[in-house]
Amino acid sequence: MRAHLLTAGLGAVMLTAGCIPVQIQAPDEPIEINLNINIRQEVIVRLERDARELLEQNSDLF
Amino acid sequence: MTREFALTAAWMAAALALSPPAAAQQGDAVVAQARASGFLGEQADGFLGFAPGAQISADLRGRVGQINIRRRAVYTSRASERNVTVNEMAAAVACEIFATRIAVGERYRDEAGQWRQRTASQAVSTPSFCAP
Repeated sequence: MRAHLLTAGLGAVMLTAGCIPVQIQAPDEPIEINLNINIRQEVIVRLERDARELLEQNSDLF
Repeated sequence: MTREFALTAAWMAAALALSPPAAAQQGDAVVAQARASGFLGEQADGFLGFAPGAQISADLRGRVGQINIRRRAVYTSRASERNVTVNEMAAAVACEIFATRIAVGERYRDEAGQWRQRTASQAVSTPSFCAP
């Protein structure tokens, strides 16, 4: 009911303003953000000391 | 009577205290042998895995499962301390393992899932996410 009112309202606004709804075309392929690998490598570098420590402290597991 | 009981209790306590390391050592030998035979190897995800065609006894499968569960626990607790994901912590350890803990003749699984073998002439190829 409310949606109908809204649609009707929108139509009225468009009519009075005299404009055609503009369709924005979405790109064919999603935009990929390729930061993943860099972030990961940076984290791994930061964890180097922890990794070494875990190996030494848990010699029965490694 | 009470003294005898105390002595027996002491012996039992001593036996209990001594037996786990002995059993663990035997288990270590089973796992070490599987690694040396190429049935078992380190993976780029920080866990142990079985190579294709591996002969796996129930005992070995159980032990490796236990090791991996305990590794995950270790990764998880350190990851939460450092505010990183468990996978990142595990990957960081994998980098360290690949750089220092894979002996000549042992097999390992790279980040693409491919099993390789370290040979005398060919060094371990470390995952691309590791520090150069």
